[in-house]
Amino acid sequence: MERHQSAALVAPILTARDAGLVGCRGCGRVWPQGTPTCGRCGARLVPVDVRGLQAVWAWLIAGLIFYVPANLYPMLLTKTLTGHLENTILGGVIELLAHHNYGVAAIVFGASIVIPIGKFIAIAYLALAVGNERRAGGHRHLRLYEVVEFIGRWSMIDVFVVAILSALVQLGFVATINPGPAAASFALSVAFTMLSAQSFDPRLIWRGPPDTAGNK
Amino acid sequence: MTQDPRPAALVKTPAQNPIWTRLSVIWLVPLVALAITLGVAWKSYSDRGILIEIDFSDATGLRPGETPLKFREVEVGRVETVGFTEDLKSVRIGVRVQKDVAPFIDGSAQFWLVRPEVSAQGISRLDTVLSGTFIEGYWDAALSPPETRFTGLDHAPLAPDPTSGTWVTLHADDAGGLADGAPIIFRGLTVGRLQNLRLSDVDEGVTVDAFIKAPHDKRLTSRTRFWDTSGFSVSLGTGGVSLDVRSLASLVQGGVEFSTFSSGGLPVQPGHGFRLYSGETEARDSIFDGGADTAVRFTLLFDEAVRGIERGTKVLFRGVEAGEVKDLSIRVSEDSLGNRVVRQQITIAINPERLGMTADADPEIVAGFMEGEVERGMRARLAGTGLLGTTLVVELTDIDGMAPGKMDMAGDPFPILPVAPATSNDLAASAEGVISRVGALPIEELFASTIRVMDSIAMVAESEDTRAVPGELSTLLEELGKLTKALNEQGAADKTIAALDQVMSAAERLYGSVEGLPETLVEVQKLAANAANMPLADIGDQIDGILKDLRAMLGTSDAEKLPRALSDTLNEAAGLLAELRAGGAADNLNSALGSAQTAADAIAGASASLPDVTKRLEALIARADALVSAYGERSPFNAEMLNTMRELRRATAAFGALARTIERNPRAFILGR
Repeated sequence: MERHQSAALVAPILTARDAGLVGCRGCGRVWPQGTPTCGRCGARLVPVDVRGLQAVWAWLIAGLIFYVPANLYPMLLTKTLTGHLENTILGGVIELLAHHNYGVAAIVFGASIVIPIGKFIAIAYLALAVGNERRAGGHRHLRLYEVVEFIGRWSMIDVFVVAILSALVQLGFVATINPGPAAASFALSVAFTMLSAQSFDPRLIWRGPPDTAGNK
Repeated sequence: MTQDPRPAALVKTPAQNPIWTRLSVIWLVPLVALAITLGVAWKSYSDRGILIEIDFSDATGLRPGETPLKFREVEVGRVETVGFTEDLKSVRIGVRVQKDVAPFIDGSAQFWLVRPEVSAQGISRLDTVLSGTFIEGYWDAALSPPETRFTGLDHAPLAPDPTSGTWVTLHADDAGGLADGAPIIFRGLTVGRLQNLRLSDVDEGVTVDAFIKAPHDKRLTSRTRFWDTSGFSVSLGTGGVSLDVRSLASLVQGGVEFSTFSSGGLPVQPGHGFRLYSGETEARDSIFDGGADTAVRFTLLFDEAVRGIERGTKVLFRGVEAGEVKDLSIRVSEDSLGNRVVRQQITIAINPERLGMTADADPEIVAGFMEGEVERGMRARLAGTGLLGTTLVVELTDIDGMAPGKMDMAGDPFPILPVAPATSNDLAASAEGVISRVGALPIEELFASTIRVMDSIAMVAESEDTRAVPGELSTLLEELGKLTKALNEQGAADKTIAALDQVMSAAERLYGSVEGLPETLVEVQKLAANAANMPLADIGDQIDGILKDLRAMLGTSDAEKLPRALSDTLNEAAGLLAELRAGGAADNLNSALGSAQTAADAIAGASASLPDVTKRLEALIARADALVSAYGERSPFNAEMLNTMRELRRATAAFGALARTIERNPRAFILGR
């Protein structure tokens, strides 16, 4: 009740849920509550449910778990005539810095460390925020969500680089590059965070606390 | 009463959803992810093997994370860390060894670095140029408590697996041309290698470990002999010159060959000691010797000089060769009066087999036996053997009248055998005398003059003209023979003798009459003075000069021309002789002698016709007697006469000697030798 009160205090906006409508996630058309499928695009109409946040959390945690070995294990196994190199992500960044390749170092650092960690923080923040019914931040949250959604796929840039290098540099004993165990972990981690972002229902940003609509 | 039978309003309390019903299946995903991650982490942790540490003197080519540890050329680990020991004296390598192998790495494990190597045997491990240095390890299959701290070897061991052959030890006097890694050859096959060449801790020699590979080590028996084949040998014999080079490697690095010359040896145990002989001949000669290691050593202290003794000098036990001298040194000590005493310390090694014991007899038993002998009067002494008595030996023999002695069993470094004086006191002196006599021989001069003679002879002999000489010579000799014969026939010699006799008697008579003839005396004195003044010495000098010139001429390159000149001279001489004969030289001589005889007769006649004068002069003589006696025997006149006669005699003798020389060796006279 106090939530309701607080919500009423700060939220003058009329949401679809307040109006007894349910929005289609496919095309955005709203239908009266209880309509099973969208009449326009045929997508199944799912009522907004805070339980969807469980999936967000689950994927997020899985992504985090895989992010640990992704940073501890080597990403690239480089074998050349003279030596054998194993580079972790952070090790590679440090090495690039040592060679004064600041630009490349910044890109690798951004794509492999800043973005994934930012994504974890952003998703976790969103999931926590919608659970706490902060409608006031709705627009900001939506923008954050869109950024996360957009940027998520670019985290795979590392994995692509590793995949391409491994495919191209197979010159027998002269030089060989193979993906390290971190590459798979990193790919899984990125995939799981993308799934996490996907499972987040942006309608929750606008929706009130779970019980308010049902009991009114 | 009539109450509305309406049930009481239901109190609806929303059922508390149990947490599991609210949980989505999706939570399985992070659980599985966690399980997988933890599983991988645990597996990689548990599989990462055991860390062992190996200390090397340097870490050339070792790279952490890359350099493998190999066992029988299979990778079983990887270098993880490269650091230093606490004292920074060596490098400590941390190696992560696979779990399944780690339990076998115990105290017996050996580690060494494998890198490309260029040696006399060739280039080895070229593969490591590309693959990089790696650590090789060897350990056996026996499970002992594992260790984690090791010290690496500097070189790859010859035989990491001791069961793949037999290790034996070789003792030699010096290392000669041997080097570590030198091959051991058996009938031309390389069957092993030498390692760990080092100074012996028992005596002054060197010791080296030898490894003979597995099937060949069966050839080793206790009768096997090893010898050094370093370098090459050249031998000159009836079959010509033979050059023996075993292999290029043995030329550079030395080599050892072995063979078993006699049967009856026992199988050897690993570590058996063998003597390394300097050559095959020595090795063959030593078949009946025991190994050097079984020899029992004794010390001898000599007060006298032992020049002539050297290492290897034989030791005779009652006349039988029983050992040899191992070492010579000086021992300075103080006697009971505090004087410094310098003595020669000789170490001898006695072979127990030669004393009728087993080869491996305990040294103490041998020493005890010797002690008993010493008590019965046995002593060590120096003796000379050989043709000239110059080869010295150490003799262990009973000496008559020797008081029972005692052996110093606690002697340093070996039990001390009492010694007796050498068989001859001036032993050293005589040995030295022989040497100095030999040394004093003018061998070099002899050689030089021989060479000069040879050169001259060769020069003369090679010349065409020389070949013509013998003919001329024989002709000349024939002529000479004829002349001599003619002279003999005409009785020249007899006549000459007769003439001389007459001259002598005339002279005697003259002498007899002379005593009364002061004038004559004065004349004779003058004559004698003249004769004394005759330049006989000059003539000798001149002859010498001529001979010198002749020699010089023979020494010059013109000497080649000599034979022609010589033959010409001979021709001329022959011609002259022929002329002489034809011209009746003998007759002339005869007539000359005849004249001499006549003269002698005349003198005799004169002498005979002078009695009056003699008589008349007798008085004078009598008067002069006093005068003459005043002169006495040692008067200047007599002395003068004697001197003159002596001079004459000497000149005659010189001429006679010259004549004899020419007679004996006319060639020598001609050739100046």
